[in-house]
Amino acid sequence: MKKNWKTLMLMGTMVLGMGLFTAGCGSSSTTADGGNGADKTYVVGTDASYAPFESMNGEKIEGFDMDVLSAAADAGGFKVQFQNTPWDGIFLTLKNNDRDIVASAVTITDERKKELDFSDPYFEATQMIVSKKGAELKTLAELKDKKIAVQNGTTGDEVVTKMLGKGSPNIKRFENMPLALLELKNGGVDAAVGDNGVVLEYVKNNGAGEFVTSVDSSFEKEHYGFVVKKGNTELQKKINDGLKKIKENGKLDEINKKYGFSK
Amino acid sequence: MFADIRWDALQEYFPLFLKGILMTAEITVISVAIGVVLGLFAGMGRISHNPIVRLIPNIYVGFFRGTPLFVQILLIHFAVLPAIFGKSPAAMVSGIVALSLNAGAYIAEIFRAGIQSIDRGQMEAARSLGLSYSQSMFHIILPQAVRRMLPPLGNEAIMLLKDSSLLAAISLPEVTYYAKLMAGKTYLAWEPYLTIALMYLVLTLLLARLVKFLERKYGTV
Repeated sequence: MKKNWKTLMLMGTMVLGMGLFTAGCGSSSTTADGGNGADKTYVVGTDASYAPFESMNGEKIEGFDMDVLSAAADAGGFKVQFQNTPWDGIFLTLKNNDRDIVASAVTITDERKKELDFSDPYFEATQMIVSKKGAELKTLAELKDKKIAVQNGTTGDEVVTKMLGKGSPNIKRFENMPLALLELKNGGVDAAVGDNGVVLEYVKNNGAGEFVTSVDSSFEKEHYGFVVKKGNTELQKKINDGLKKIKENGKLDEINKKYGFSK
Repeated sequence: MFADIRWDALQEYFPLFLKGILMTAEITVISVAIGVVLGLFAGMGRISHNPIVRLIPNIYVGFFRGTPLFVQILLIHFAVLPAIFGKSPAAMVSGIVALSLNAGAYIAEIFRAGIQSIDRGQMEAARSLGLSYSQSMFHIILPQAVRRMLPPLGNEAIMLLKDSSLLAAISLPEVTYYAKLMAGKTYLAWEPYLTIALMYLVLTLLLARLVKFLERKYGTV
């Protein structure tokens, strides 16, 4: 009798578990439908800890990426709604249909193209090394046996990982760029590597005299693109149409100027 | 679903996971050890008859039990320790400090409960035989109390083992850190997270076994 109870309990647990699992799978289409379906509203994931590209102003997400994508959406005839999304796992939200677009200063790389689809580029960036005044580190070679802070899974992470290997104890990976830069400020690392726009903004706001920035000659030009789920060519085309229009009508230049990015 | 698990990616990152789980185990063992010492003193302090002696452990336990461990980790690594040392210490130092202090607060309560669960007649008998308070405490009360404390102590160790995953946020290279690294580079979720979940499970089951063994050897039943 006792044994029967055990079997019954086990089966009950399994049934319950499977029920929960399928329930979880069923509710994965979250794309908000805007009104009559004429202008579809797409949910856009962004890691709003990356000023000036995306940051929180009170409850509102704002920044360069928001301005560009909103303008492109206006021109392309669709609507967007921004959602703050942690960088760790941000691309998984596309795979899981939790977000339709990721607009988070994402560099277009061949590696990423294997798993994701990108829009046309809308911004040119480069990696930048930032170190403390008095202990300047200016080239990638100088970072060889130093402690370096990066944001996990970014192109900055990629360049130092390529040099030191992914298991290197000298690479300190953080969830977002502000934490990585805080670690540098607190002296826990000797340098940080990240996108130039963000690094410069941070240095500007956190003691301009305290830090030294530099670009290694080996750092390649990078381009930001908006990201959609692999195979979502319909949305990719809509974004590209919008981007093309705002590039032609000068709206993109206007936004660049607003943020002080010269061409 | 399981058919398209990327074994090749898993194989590539598995050595790092092994390295990470060793770090997880190391951090847990050190923190539990320090936590037991902290907890012993804080727990004894809390049952003192002197209100001034009670005050500090009361504040300590109140704070570390009443705030989230994640917040404590961020506070200690990015604010408290840099303020003390003038710069951020290694993540390992912050990690051990945060986990030990947190564990100490919970273990203090385990000690207090353990000591108070011993019949007061034991203390009275010891005192009437001429032992001092501290002699009675260390030779009569504590040995009996520790036996009763084994199950909750084991529980605390298991909790700490799991909670050490929060240290990934300060870039301490334990196993969750490496899983996030793999997820960040490969955009996979099942492979890294299910793998490390099983690794944690193996460790917690082993730990539970160890506690059971100790209970059978030294326990009350």
